[in-house]
Amino acid sequence: MSATFLDTNELELNMGPQHPSTHGVLRVILKLDGEKVLGTECVIGYLHRGVEKIAEARTYQQFAPYVDRMDYISAVSNGLGYCLAVEKLLNVTATPRARAVRVILTELNRIASHLFWLGTHALDIGATTPLFYCLREREEVLKIFENYCGARLTTHAFRIGGLQYELYAGFEDQVRAFCGSFPGRVDEYEELLTHNRIWTSRLRGVGILNAEECKRFGVTGPVLRAAGVAWDLRKAQPYSGYEQYEFHVPTGEAGDTYDRYLVRVREMRESVRIIEQALAMLPSGPVMAKVPKVIKPAPGEVYVSIEAPKGELGYYVVSDGGKNPYRVRVRPPSFLNLQALDTMCRGALVADVVAIIGTIDMVMGEVDR
Amino acid sequence: MSEVPTAHTPKVHAHAPAEMAVETWESALTGRLAARFGGGISRFGSYLGQPFLEARADLTLDVLRFLRDEEAFDFLVDLTAVDRPGHAERFELVYILYSFASNERIRVKTRVGDGVAAPSVTGVYPAADWLEREVFDMFGIGFAGHPKLRRILLPDDWSGHPLRRETSILAMDQDWVRRNLGIESGQ
Amino acid sequence: MMGPLRSTRKTDSPRLSLSRVFLGVWSRAGAAFALLKKFLLLDLLEGLRVTFKAQHPSKIYTEQYPAERPAVAERYRGAPRLNNHPETNQTLCIACDLCAIACPENLIVVGSVRNPATRRKELTTFTYDLSRCMFCGLCEDACPVDALELTQDFELASYTREGLIWDRQMLEEGPRPVRYSS
Repeated sequence: MSATFLDTNELELNMGPQHPSTHGVLRVILKLDGEKVLGTECVIGYLHRGVEKIAEARTYQQFAPYVDRMDYISAVSNGLGYCLAVEKLLNVTATPRARAVRVILTELNRIASHLFWLGTHALDIGATTPLFYCLREREEVLKIFENYCGARLTTHAFRIGGLQYELYAGFEDQVRAFCGSFPGRVDEYEELLTHNRIWTSRLRGVGILNAEECKRFGVTGPVLRAAGVAWDLRKAQPYSGYEQYEFHVPTGEAGDTYDRYLVRVREMRESVRIIEQALAMLPSGPVMAKVPKVIKPAPGEVYVSIEAPKGELGYYVVSDGGKNPYRVRVRPPSFLNLQALDTMCRGALVADVVAIIGTIDMVMGEVDR
Repeated sequence: MSEVPTAHTPKVHAHAPAEMAVETWESALTGRLAARFGGGISRFGSYLGQPFLEARADLTLDVLRFLRDEEAFDFLVDLTAVDRPGHAERFELVYILYSFASNERIRVKTRVGDGVAAPSVTGVYPAADWLEREVFDMFGIGFAGHPKLRRILLPDDWSGHPLRRETSILAMDQDWVRRNLGIESGQ
Repeated sequence: MMGPLRSTRKTDSPRLSLSRVFLGVWSRAGAAFALLKKFLLLDLLEGLRVTFKAQHPSKIYTEQYPAERPAVAERYRGAPRLNNHPETNQTLCIACDLCAIACPENLIVVGSVRNPATRRKELTTFTYDLSRCMFCGLCEDACPVDALELTQDFELASYTREGLIWDRQMLEEGPRPVRYSS
């Protein structure tokens, strides 16, 4: 019998679009040599709704609810980015109170997003319990959102020029109570996971993406920071008053899945610090700047980006002087981060692909728009 | 006397946007770029403090490579297009670059006509791979030298490019919908 | 519980034999302890301690819907309602059409006639297509007289698509879902 008879063939395996660990409708075509991944190809677009096309036929205010539906896990961040972009185009700034409230809500949203990521990521790896703990705390955040603006996920919390709603009575107490109890809860998750032997052996050295590769593929957010680059737009190009708050930018060293876990967990703690500072210095005054009822920015274009929980979320808005934006381009962090999946997966095992997809923390609504 | 109740139909303006009030952008960087490329860069501008430059399409690769290698703009933030029908070269390609070293963001813009392929920048910035595919998918702009120029968000056998201005927001590939979904219309 | 200490040193030195005997006894004690632990389900009880800690009624997060209806926030954006004046029972709507213009999905159609006597528009029909609504609240924000309001009703399911297109009567009366509790 010849040796070639015993050779293994390259196997093509479809993962998704209906697969519990692809977090939505992502289809990955894996090329396998046994258990080893030789290459991957992503098939995306299953959730494409033409958000950028919709913007052409909406007024500036009318488009705001649609951006909530891209990264639906962190709708508040999406709304902040869009409002900042249009405000820049109009050359107005939100009032100090509005800016502080925006920071509080956006940081709460970062916590909610990271919690949801942690719960589902741990579930993918095989740890069921953290999901329930994480969703329990996330519920607290969503209750604050519901009390503030009347919706839990698709919040539409901000308006161009500031806020639609004044804070409700008891907002500060509720947020303070959450900030008081939350760090203890993070300790609980860390107790469960950080030194857990299964957790570390499944994550350490898996899906390594170094700083150089991150920059080449346009990867931002916690993935970039886990590779050792202390780059956070809140520090690099502060917006909405982030320069007033003191916080650290946690970084990793190895750029592997485990470091990304640590970075996100630390980011949640930093978010609590920011919220507490913003609450302490919450200015009084109006929540809405002077913005015309019909928004017609002068012809021009701006690119404004914020540090969303997933990475750099940018809006490139072009105005032709009319009521509707001429073009709204969204720079989705998940889309570019997902592009690095192939590099991260090469040479890994099939089971690692699940961990790597989880660690990118992408939301398909944002990838496909 | 009653007014006929009808839903408001969205109006999409087909005309190209008016000119924006651009300030000139002058810095050490523009001096070096002008010295290197001369008339190849037609304009250094800045709007609301955001600098941009307009370069000839055939120089795109050289300009981007120069910016990456000599000026440390090592990060391609975004690559997109704006359709401006009525212009001789209707598509405006926008490359947004960032430099970690200087914490600066600039935009490089070029124009390409309908049916003309732009040079692919995947060799300079690998991040452009999916971004160029998306621009191809949405606008129908080709990219010469792209390793795998295929549709990315829409199905491979879809016809039409939705983000062109003449495409109505209600338009879709009816044939595709009938064939693949078994329904008359997706609206 | 980790296993007993294991000596990897291969030596027959009499000086070490005592410690080896000790190790042997210790390992047996350890094994016995581990067995006892398993037998008495100590690990299980320890895990259950956390579970029982979360059992206190104040810590239960599960809502017994529909037996118990959740209390939604005061600002909750749910079913739309057209408000009537509490005393006169006349509609508050002045048929200004601002909600229809504000709506991103163009799902509101306001019908009105101009009263020749008062020269004012009066509301005739009001159609609200809930099947396309995303509850963004822009219509409610646009309303100058607080006639249109998104309420706390959240049970909007219907057996037909047509059932989700609400007319003026439905908007004034509100949805009437089956209630399984008070």
